[in-house]
Amino acid sequence: MAEAEQQLRFDTKLIHGGTVPGPSGATKPPIVQASAFAYQTAEELEDIFKGRAVGQVYTRIGNPTLEGLEKRLAVIENGIAAVITSSGMSAITTAVMAVVRCDDEILSSASLFGGTYSLFHDTLANYGIKTRFFDPTDLGALEAGISERTRLIFVETIGNPKMDVPDIEAFSAIAKKSGIPLMVDATVSTPYLARMRDLGADIIIHSTSKYINGTANSIGGAIIDAGSFDWGSDRFPHFEPFRRKYRNFAFTARVRKLIHKDFGACAAPLNAFLSGEGLDTLALRMERHCSNALELAHFLQSHPKVAWVNYPGLPDSPFHEVAGRQFNGRFGGLLTFGLADKPAAFRLVNALRLAKNLANIGDTKTLVIHPASTICADYTPEVKRLMGVSEELVRVSVGIEDPADIVEDFSAALERV
Amino acid sequence: MNLTVNGKPATIGEETAVSITHLLEALQVEQREYVTVELNGDIMDRGDFEKATVKDGDSVEFLYFMGGGR
Repeated sequence: MAEAEQQLRFDTKLIHGGTVPGPSGATKPPIVQASAFAYQTAEELEDIFKGRAVGQVYTRIGNPTLEGLEKRLAVIENGIAAVITSSGMSAITTAVMAVVRCDDEILSSASLFGGTYSLFHDTLANYGIKTRFFDPTDLGALEAGISERTRLIFVETIGNPKMDVPDIEAFSAIAKKSGIPLMVDATVSTPYLARMRDLGADIIIHSTSKYINGTANSIGGAIIDAGSFDWGSDRFPHFEPFRRKYRNFAFTARVRKLIHKDFGACAAPLNAFLSGEGLDTLALRMERHCSNALELAHFLQSHPKVAWVNYPGLPDSPFHEVAGRQFNGRFGGLLTFGLADKPAAFRLVNALRLAKNLANIGDTKTLVIHPASTICADYTPEVKRLMGVSEELVRVSVGIEDPADIVEDFSAALERV
Repeated sequence: MNLTVNGKPATIGEETAVSITHLLEALQVEQREYVTVELNGDIMDRGDFEKATVKDGDSVEFLYFMGGGR
């Protein structure tokens, strides 16, 4: 990254960092909707395949539009490189598979997005990769869970939907002491709340489909390499060829030249363009998501039909202090709250007029869902308990509408519960 | 000074030894922030680009992790 770009303040980096002028002075990157790239000579293409020269070959491997967003994300997250993928789940899968091999173990927070839990608990287990789950609020459990086979520590920066906030700096200290990389899914906190590299994360994941895209028009994921982890230990002999050749780019090189290339979960150029458009306004939107969520949280907390509200921005949240410290006094756009029981939760969802009932977060629109009957329906009561999902719980992804309209929508719906 | 760059003969105007950083600029190497440099068979640490010197007759290879092959 150019030093001048490093010096830019965050909101400016979102707009200018890592950008290059488009053709004919265009202020937008071109959408290169092409599968493959032609060269005049066999020698040129040979050089590119050998890695001796820069060039595009095939969009599964690389594409100028994808590369444009990758450079921006790397700059914004203070990382050294980024790879974008077809979805947030493919970003997690690709990044994890680059680190672990058969018989290795992942040590993961139990407070996870349902899709990630399924990947770790079911899918990867079928390929001989075991995941040990621990309570992310218990640092002792993290330390106790590390074994000879541990290759990765994984945590969400704000647990979805549990809304717990792990102390990333404390996690990083334990990970570094143990020689294990710390991978964080920062989808809910976004780069706006904190740059996870600065808190000690080694690999940062985003579902760009959410707040980064911002308007829910395309699915995508991102893997950002902080360049901070030393892969030269006995735990990672499979990194040696990449470390020898590419030094601190070893992780990104292994992702690009092996896992991402072979699994093929590449982003679509149009989706990358649209997500890049979202990045420009991330700071403004997140500011409003955060302030609207806090306002709705206060309203819900004061309502007699609401049993409890879980939002780290509320002073009585057990995560208020750590979230306030690591997110600079901002707490994100996601909250959960409880009604009397499941029928009451359903009545509320059905009575809302503005808020949409759907399985997503991070849109400009306010969204609600009853997780126990939808995104977490497949899990046992014990797993649901670990994820913080109960029958009376409603999750809200607070949008950027006028906060008075959001509060009025919930107020009117609560009257009908 | 005469060099071998990516297996082919190359010439730069400088007569005396130059740093790798200088060489990258002189040869207008693309995406310098990502390039790996191999000097006479040794992969160079990025932190050494300023102080490592390239002299007449040296062989230099540039490597990128973005391309198609392994």
